[in-house]
Amino acid sequence: MAEIQLRNIGKRWGSFIGVDNFDLKIADKEFLVLLGPSGCGKTTTMRMIAGLEDASEGDILIDGLRVNEMEPKDRDVAMVFQSYALYPNMNVYENIRFPLKVRGVDPNIHDEKVRRASAMVELDDFLHRKPAELSGGQRQRVALARAIVREPNVFLMDEPLSNLDAKLRVSTRAQIKNLSHELAVTTIYVTHDQIEAMTLADRVVIMKQGVVQQVGSPVEIYDSPANAFVASFIGNPAMNLMDGDMSGGTFRAQHVDVPGLSAPDGKVTLGFRAEDANVVEIGGQINAPIYTMELLGDATMVSVRIGGALVSVKADKSYRAEIGEIVSINVAPEHFHLFDQKSGARIGN
Amino acid sequence: MARKAETRMTPLKLFSFTMVGLWLLIAAFPFLWTFWGSFKVQADFLSKADWMNAVRGTNTLEQTGSTFTGQGYYGAWVTEDFWFNFKNTSIVVFFTVVISLTFGTLGGYALARSGFRYAFWILMAALVFRAMPHITLVSGYLLWFFEWNVWGILPTTIIVLVAINQPFTLWMLHSFFKNIPKDMDESAMVDGCTRFQAFRHVIVPVMWPGVITTGLFSFLLAYNDFTVAVMLLSEENETIIPAINSFMGTTQVEGKVMYAVAAVVSATAPLFVLILFFQRQIVSGLTAGAVKG
Repeated sequence: MAEIQLRNIGKRWGSFIGVDNFDLKIADKEFLVLLGPSGCGKTTTMRMIAGLEDASEGDILIDGLRVNEMEPKDRDVAMVFQSYALYPNMNVYENIRFPLKVRGVDPNIHDEKVRRASAMVELDDFLHRKPAELSGGQRQRVALARAIVREPNVFLMDEPLSNLDAKLRVSTRAQIKNLSHELAVTTIYVTHDQIEAMTLADRVVIMKQGVVQQVGSPVEIYDSPANAFVASFIGNPAMNLMDGDMSGGTFRAQHVDVPGLSAPDGKVTLGFRAEDANVVEIGGQINAPIYTMELLGDATMVSVRIGGALVSVKADKSYRAEIGEIVSINVAPEHFHLFDQKSGARIGN
Repeated sequence: MARKAETRMTPLKLFSFTMVGLWLLIAAFPFLWTFWGSFKVQADFLSKADWMNAVRGTNTLEQTGSTFTGQGYYGAWVTEDFWFNFKNTSIVVFFTVVISLTFGTLGGYALARSGFRYAFWILMAALVFRAMPHITLVSGYLLWFFEWNVWGILPTTIIVLVAINQPFTLWMLHSFFKNIPKDMDESAMVDGCTRFQAFRHVIVPVMWPGVITTGLFSFLLAYNDFTVAVMLLSEENETIIPAINSFMGTTQVEGKVMYAVAAVVSATAPLFVLILFFQRQIVSGLTAGAVKG
């Protein structure tokens, strides 16, 4: 049971700003994902909540209690590190038991708790092994079990999947989602992988250079990105963005002519998603020579170049054309996103 | 087939084995020669007439009635109370190792985890002090040691040896700590440890081989020290190395040189035992970088 409040927290190292004016209320039992490219301050934010980093400004409250000056051990949070940080001299059982031991939990219930936690992550058969004798995925699960064993108020996970191979990542992701549902504990999860964010989160916070760009549910962020950065970060492939001029409701760029938009005149960036576009015989808004074609199996990805940007469209899987041929692309007007070219801010769709 | 290839003696292999064998012989010869000679009398071991006397033991047979004699050992340990020097050395070595390891682990950990730039300069200063000749720490203070009336006693020597040794332990342990990921301490702290508990329960157990290795080097420094002990200790507090030196100095009395030879062999024996005993830790200490988080 824990509601976390971050009141305008910030982190500075000298003149360098790690996190700037982060203000958010995280509801009890919420699964919040901090998403952004490396160096965006997402891990720093998590470390400030854990108490491993001092906030330069602002207040951190857990259940209404200010915890800024508290030691990590007194904040009742559990953390899973990117490197797992298992204790190499202890076996799996002792690793999982360690938090109970140092917190002075009644020794009579240690065994029961360790076995319950290890069963949840399917580690029962490995309890006597040392971390060095485990695979990456197993180590990762030990780290998870060590975090859940003492039923903390808050879970913090710092890129827990980034050291796993692609296949294992998918199954462990599912396991984390299931665990968080079962345990119903407030969870903060840091990742640079937008798919993890989309699949796991109740709410996503997107950060860039220490500044929060958008806070919202995965659907909100996907459907109406607050700015061009969010648009280019979310989705696979990311949203197509083209720079051009707006005049009288018509967007123009080389090879592009999109009428019927409602936005003030000026320099804008027009965006749309690959799956919202269709390849048509003739008369689309974009008519450009094909730059490359990629077979995905379920579809064919057709790319053209508009200005310096690559614009990709998903066509039918049977679609075939030669590189250099002119392709005509059509997008329904409601699927367009318009951003200010200078600030990147959303100005309409 | 593969086995055959492995066991076949190629010229290159033959050459390698010969070289290793030769090196072993050259390296071990002084020890073996001294060990062998320590059971002879002076007239044999240091014979001017024929060096083969040391091998055959001609004079030893003549003087003692056997080709091997324990006279040197008896003289050193019983007549000259060498055990007393041994006791002094044990005290000096024990405290030097314990004190420099205590400060070394705590300081090395602090420096390894400190984000401040001065940590680097402290380590640089440590390196400079380490490179300084040992004698500078003695000669500069000798006058004060007399004035404060602390000259000639073991604690002064221990303090000086710690001062000489500390930069090295600090430097070495610092690099061992550097190899242990910071995540380990942080994980322990989130799990419920204070900074010191994290250090004690999580970092030190992983560091153990590094502590043993560093401790061993400190041991060797204190054990083999001559410069400091000979300048600072009065005769009644002499440690083994100056004692051996004074056996060597008294050539007037026939046989005393053999006390020195016997004492040298006695002094080497514990080192062999020590290295064999800690061999595994030393090896893993030297590869402590392989610790995975």
